[in-house]
Amino acid sequence: MPNDERRMSEPRTGNPQSTIENRQSKIPRVGVFVCHCGINIAGVVKIPELLERAGIMPGVVVTKDYKYCCSDPGQQMIRDSIKNDKLDRVIVACCSPTLHETTFRNACGEAGLNPYLCEIANIREQCAWVTEDKDAATTKACGIVRTALTKVVEDQPLDAITVPINKRALVIGAGIAGIQSALDIANAGYEVVLVEKEPSIGGHMAQLSETFPTLDCSQCILTPRTVETGRHPKIKLMTYSEIDSVSGYVGNFKVKVRQKARYVDFKTCTGCGVCLEKCPGRTEGRFERGLTKGKAIYRLLPQAVPNKPVIDAEACIYLTKGKCGNCAKVCPTGAIHYDDTDKFVEEEVGAIVLATGYELFDATKLGQYGVGLVPDVIDGLAFERLLSASGPTSGEVKRPSDGKTPKKIVFVQCAGSRDSTVGMPYCSKICCMYTAKQAILYRHRVHDGQATICYIDVRTPGKGFEEFYKRATDDGIQYLRGKVSKIFRQGDKVMVWASDTLAGRKVELEADMVVLATAVIANPDGVGLARKLKTQIDTHGFMTEAHPKLRPVETLTAGFFLAGCGQGPKDIPETVAQASAAAAKLLAMFGNTRLTHSPTTAQVDEEICVGCGYCERTCAYDAVKVDPVKRKAVVNAALCEGCGACAVACPSGAMTHKNATKKAIFEMADSF
Amino acid sequence: MTKYSYYPGCTLYTKARSLDLCARKAAERVGFELVEMPSWNCCGAIYNATSDDLAAQVGPVRNLAKASQMGDKLVTLCAACHNVLKRVQNRLDQPGNEVESERLKTFVDEKFEHPVKVLHYLEVLKNDIGWDAIKAKVIKPLAKLKVASYYGCLMVRPKEVLEFDDPENPQVMDDLMRVLGAEPTRFDFKAECCGGYLVVNRRDVAKSASQKILDNAKAWGAEAIVTTCPLCQYNLDKLRVMTDGALPVFYFTQLLGIAVGLTQDELGLEHNAGDPVGFLKAKCLL
Amino acid sequence: MATSSNSSELLRQIETLSGQAVADCYQCGCCTSGCPIGEAMDPPPSKAIRLLQLGKVGELLESGGIWLCASCLVCGTRCPRAVDYARIAEACRVLILRSKQSRVDPDTVTAPELEEIPQQAFIAAFRKSSV
Repeated sequence: MPNDERRMSEPRTGNPQSTIENRQSKIPRVGVFVCHCGINIAGVVKIPELLERAGIMPGVVVTKDYKYCCSDPGQQMIRDSIKNDKLDRVIVACCSPTLHETTFRNACGEAGLNPYLCEIANIREQCAWVTEDKDAATTKACGIVRTALTKVVEDQPLDAITVPINKRALVIGAGIAGIQSALDIANAGYEVVLVEKEPSIGGHMAQLSETFPTLDCSQCILTPRTVETGRHPKIKLMTYSEIDSVSGYVGNFKVKVRQKARYVDFKTCTGCGVCLEKCPGRTEGRFERGLTKGKAIYRLLPQAVPNKPVIDAEACIYLTKGKCGNCAKVCPTGAIHYDDTDKFVEEEVGAIVLATGYELFDATKLGQYGVGLVPDVIDGLAFERLLSASGPTSGEVKRPSDGKTPKKIVFVQCAGSRDSTVGMPYCSKICCMYTAKQAILYRHRVHDGQATICYIDVRTPGKGFEEFYKRATDDGIQYLRGKVSKIFRQGDKVMVWASDTLAGRKVELEADMVVLATAVIANPDGVGLARKLKTQIDTHGFMTEAHPKLRPVETLTAGFFLAGCGQGPKDIPETVAQASAAAAKLLAMFGNTRLTHSPTTAQVDEEICVGCGYCERTCAYDAVKVDPVKRKAVVNAALCEGCGACAVACPSGAMTHKNATKKAIFEMADSF
Repeated sequence: MTKYSYYPGCTLYTKARSLDLCARKAAERVGFELVEMPSWNCCGAIYNATSDDLAAQVGPVRNLAKASQMGDKLVTLCAACHNVLKRVQNRLDQPGNEVESERLKTFVDEKFEHPVKVLHYLEVLKNDIGWDAIKAKVIKPLAKLKVASYYGCLMVRPKEVLEFDDPENPQVMDDLMRVLGAEPTRFDFKAECCGGYLVVNRRDVAKSASQKILDNAKAWGAEAIVTTCPLCQYNLDKLRVMTDGALPVFYFTQLLGIAVGLTQDELGLEHNAGDPVGFLKAKCLL
Repeated sequence: MATSSNSSELLRQIETLSGQAVADCYQCGCCTSGCPIGEAMDPPPSKAIRLLQLGKVGELLESGGIWLCASCLVCGTRCPRAVDYARIAEACRVLILRSKQSRVDPDTVTAPELEEIPQQAFIAAFRKSSV
């Protein structure tokens, strides 16, 4: 990063857009444009009175109003007035600047006025929308326009900052979302670093047996993608790795990746699998959801990409006690290296996609359901492993307790979801569909098996979903409307207290096995990562999008994009769509030569600054550092988000905020 | 020896007197003394949850006022009394309830010195005495007797007020049983209702609710059940819901008493239905 | 008899006495599923709340179900919307008792029952069901 990029004390000159002199004139010529916004503003604020009172404010040379200023004719009116009335400042009294500040600033720029000499007076959200009293609203609107006038007169013309872009991407998480994003970016010709914390890629989709509503075999549709990812020349795949830190800013991130010690040399390992047969060490078996124990040296599934095992150091008998060593003895290529260590790799990228995925809520926290106490009560992913051909029972549905085939299964929906008392008031979206699927698949395997699904509502909003639900009921699967209150043991059966609210009574069901559709929660590792990266998460740990309707794959932190269930529960088609959308947004960013950044940043007066460092401690974006040699604060304008906190913290007044100086703010407060 | 103010409640004072005496003697062996509050009155047996029913709260308020003059703690042995007294104390302390609280206190002659901490005997054992100290006093370990710990609904709910362990799978009494040398079994009905006072006018309902509890205890292999409330003990025991293969139902202080070496006469076994003496002798516990 | 105008007044009283808002209930049925009284309670808790949501207050007040609630509080503890049916049933009972109508007559208790059943059961039963 060249040093001169950091010194943003002087605005740049030579902006081709400024054909009008942009010096601050002693007597400004301000135009005030009042928007009716239909009846949103005009229904409460008395526009003629506002225009009259604004017209006599000092510096205002023209006032105009229009029904919808943001429309083309509205903007044209502003552009024409800038030229005809020779304006050098513009105020638009309208809605919140978050909506149309950019619109009006661009309009000014097109008319030859520096965009940063245009201010918005929010007389809608801050005025017309909070009262029905017309007189009070009009008076307040005048006050708001006056403060905007005070500010705009102090404003300096500014030029946007540009920064270079490193056109390399980082995708964190290699479930189907991360894989899809990575492939889209790589196929567009850019290099992608794909980091995954598990030893192989595929995420939860790799654990599924078949997917709704098509009943496609999950592995069959996933493996083409995983194989392509593994061999793609533009994808640098780092599995069994985690993000240690990220520094920098959009277009210029420095990422430190921790590659965990694998104890298996990927270059010499051929993936033959002999070591797997001889290992006596045991783990919890997370991939199999606890149905069987895993081995200390393991790969997640036979079709793993990369198809090389890793050793879980805590379960390995050699690494913990110095005994065994079977795998090293049988390995034909000598690929086992017990002296392996974690390694750190530094990568430089320009943009990052967060695709950390989901987990299922720990059902042992729902004490009334008896998980861990009553045998044969399992969650949805565990049942998926029973159904899966590569699972612990080779796809035969068997009771975990005694291996017998269950003849009656009760599926319990909403285990934790839609329940504010356990902290998950939301609907997990996928469970109605996957439960119907699991019941159908169970009946495929066990022809005389009976399935009962206890539900509150059946939600089928996707293509083919309602028809799939009908398929389930046509197959004789019984839907019983009533949330389950308790699950307990009776002999070797599992008893379920449910109800039939449609008939209005309690029902006691006897089953051989119970499957809980537990709530979908954000992957706890993803939540931890978001905290480290300071990207936004909501109260449930899901990543927050920049706008819930219109910007679902971006975050408010420039350069970070979102894909998949880390942002909220969703099914595979939606995940893939969102992943491609995130890639598209990222590629749109890469399509520029340089990135522009708002110039309303902090600036240091070096003659006053003593290098006390208060600004550095205050900054949430790491945008201000005290130069140790010069003992002066230096602002990285590209990282600076213009929040103003440093200017407030600065005890000497050396730090100011462009176009939001202390003088301006005090005068604005007085003028209201 | 630490002394605690003690509130026996109507049933333990009369019909279940033997359980009260057993509990006091066991307490002494373990290292604390229960001193009965003078002239206590009925707690009301069940908490009245209606927002404006103040008359029902006066009885318990008087008990708490008297207790406050004697110290800051009050020990109960019956889950129902515990539930009422603790909830009433909580109601008095609720922020925003000051007007009602003052009004209630003016209805009793006794001055309310300060809020009283209402404790169940089990909480004294766990928090004040401690499992290690109790283990040291065990003379006759309970020979790995398979015991289902039945807490009953009033012991654990409402959970924000009673703050007594996890309402879905409480462990306190199970821990006590383990310390005494018994083997607490898994049990899905630890805090499901036995029917309670419905035994008065709907015996069938109390029987059916109790039946489920006993069935589940048996399903997990329990040989006996322990309870914390004389009414629960009655419903599970004397109602004889299971005529064939009935499980003996003890009060937890009876098993505590055996373990710390009380004599047979001191255990109050005449209160239990069936043949508790024969059962205990067969287990070499008497 | 409850007419529609005094129906809404009765509902308002029930909600005030119980501190619960019947509109919070989304009829999942968990309360009914977990009620230890089971089929003997008619209407069961979720159906009872449904009657109130539909304004059929009189029908609920005339039912036998509200007298069978033992206030074990399982319904309110497990409700995903934290609606406490036990307090609603208590409010219904209280409205009837305050109009001087008893449900259980203490004189029906026999001497052997009085002898055997723990008196705390009698106290509780009569406080909940008699004037």
